[in-house]
Amino acid sequence: MGTMDRVAARLNRMLLMVPLILREKGASIEELCRALGVDRKELMADLDTLWLCGLPSYTPLDLIDRRIEGDRVYLSMADYFRRPLTVTRQEALTLLVAGRTLIGAGFFEEEGPLASALEKVEGMLSQEQKGDVEDIARRIEVELDSYPGKWWKEIENGIGSGHNIILEYYSYSRDTVSEREVEPFSLLWSRGHWYLMAWCHLAEDKRLFRLDRIKSVAPTEHRVTRSAGGELYVPELVGEYRPGRKAHNVKLRFFGKEGRRLAEDWPAALFTDKPDGSVAVEFRTRNLIWLSNYLLKFGDRFRIDSPGELKAMLKEKVERLLGVYDESGR
Amino acid sequence: MIPVGSAAVKGVRMEKIERLVNLTAYLLDRRQPVTLEQLSATVYAGHEGGGEALRRMFERDKDELRDMGIDIEAASAAVGEDVGYTIQREKYYLPHVDLTPQESVALTMVSRLFLGSGTPFSGPAHSAMLKLAFDAGAGRPRTKVPHMRWVDVPGDRDLLDAILEALMRRKVLSFAYKSLDASEPLKREVEPYGLLSRRGSWYLIGRCRVREEVRCFKLDRITSKVLVNKKSPRSPDFDVPPDFKLQEEARWEWPLPCEEEVRARVSFAPRLAFAFESGGADVVSSKRLKDGTMNVTYKVGDPEQFIDWVMEFGADARILSPPELVAMARERLQGVLRSLDGDDG
Repeated sequence: MGTMDRVAARLNRMLLMVPLILREKGASIEELCRALGVDRKELMADLDTLWLCGLPSYTPLDLIDRRIEGDRVYLSMADYFRRPLTVTRQEALTLLVAGRTLIGAGFFEEEGPLASALEKVEGMLSQEQKGDVEDIARRIEVELDSYPGKWWKEIENGIGSGHNIILEYYSYSRDTVSEREVEPFSLLWSRGHWYLMAWCHLAEDKRLFRLDRIKSVAPTEHRVTRSAGGELYVPELVGEYRPGRKAHNVKLRFFGKEGRRLAEDWPAALFTDKPDGSVAVEFRTRNLIWLSNYLLKFGDRFRIDSPGELKAMLKEKVERLLGVYDESGR
Repeated sequence: MIPVGSAAVKGVRMEKIERLVNLTAYLLDRRQPVTLEQLSATVYAGHEGGGEALRRMFERDKDELRDMGIDIEAASAAVGEDVGYTIQREKYYLPHVDLTPQESVALTMVSRLFLGSGTPFSGPAHSAMLKLAFDAGAGRPRTKVPHMRWVDVPGDRDLLDAILEALMRRKVLSFAYKSLDASEPLKREVEPYGLLSRRGSWYLIGRCRVREEVRCFKLDRITSKVLVNKKSPRSPDFDVPPDFKLQEEARWEWPLPCEEEVRARVSFAPRLAFAFESGGADVVSSKRLKDGTMNVTYKVGDPEQFIDWVMEFGADARILSPPELVAMARERLQGVLRSLDGDDG
């Protein structure tokens, strides 16, 4: 982010912070931090700056007054900021793009409450802005595939009513199906797949579960006790980006376009172009089982340089699979 | 308490952010337009360099505020012939909007979609949500709304920031791009027309000034920073053709449709039989055997991609027919064995 964007982001936040505090006649600092997505230090810095602002002639009597009592902050002398700045071009654009995404994925009807709500939002813009935003929104498209499986409703019910659910889940990395109780937080779409974000009682940690790997969902009577809280670090949850010290060091080479395409799928791996046109890939992973499935499709267009353990696993798997084909071919 | 650190009190120049807050506050508070002279004695007090420098600084501030959605308009001043400046309150303040409960739910879902998405939409989605909920207040119980989110992986963020900026301002972008079959990246100059996210990847669609035609660029294949033309940022570099339609330029399908349609039967082991619909191809029919094994017939568009998908099931899925596909699958597996035994290349 450039300096300019940082100033704009801060100013935007400050102009929103003031009416939020004035509305509450004193607001909880903790809640403000959560609502505005900043930590206490940033919030305090904003409040310090606001304290230096006001009207001419900028004597203490003209400046915004700030008072902090325990967890609460009070502002006065800022009546000109009593309501937030109206919806901006960027905000309207974001809502329009998001709205079209949800309509495209079949979550809303083309003509319905979403369409009429978006019309009201656009009504806050000037005619010129409106035309501008519509023109840009028409040229941005975020496609979202609908989830083909049958467990959506059950998961949504769990999230909506705040009850744990029991998942039968196929772990691709371990190649096992196991049952676990989870505290469901939200459904999210990332890089072409739907995930359930939940607290997993088996792993005792926050996890993402790919929806197409959920074998079944069962409701429970147990209330959700944890909150989704904290910033979500998706790559860590989706892939093995911080595999730890016990991980295997894997070195592979790919021939042809596949290697480059992989580089797009595995942003955490180290890729090197070789003079012979192949691509060398190096990365760390906690376990090798998923890889021994994953590599099958590459036929003879790859080499394993290390570890030897992976070679042995793959060989065993291929021979077993070929055996199955041989048997059914007879 | 006296804020002794206030720059304004001491007549020293204020920090930029203070200046912008003060400028907004002053123009919002005053009913009458304010002249540049009045501004120089107040918000811009302490700034040296005389009239012209001050005017330039004011113009820059005005542009920055406009980018954020705050319009400073020229009007005739209350006194004399001078031009005055004002922020119209009815344009600045968030209006009261009456939403039906269904509309509220819909808007909440929409504003949440890009929250924390790691894209340039995250910030605006967040502030939009706070604004739309402003009149509802914190006291009112919130309606239960399904939590659905769209998340990008980091890495695209800076690219998207630049592309979105150029798209909105219609400025030319330059970057190095390495297409899948090229050995070296090529420098491109592109007029950004549209932006698309499909199957988890972002694509920039625009007129390439090198090739002189509309092209599609996958963001993953951009190998450099994306630079936005900085010259005259407020006047557009190009026009988007009025007949430009994003969907038409991006009408490549995945998987690529094949000439002939193939019907394939696959047998899934009971353990993973539940996932038979998870991708690959359209299901024509399926039959569950007594032991839980699932036999499924698919309508296959692209056999190569179909086999890729079946192979990911490892030993839990095997192709039963047609013989051509079985042969292809066996050839892949034999290939793996050759690869394991073989030397280089």
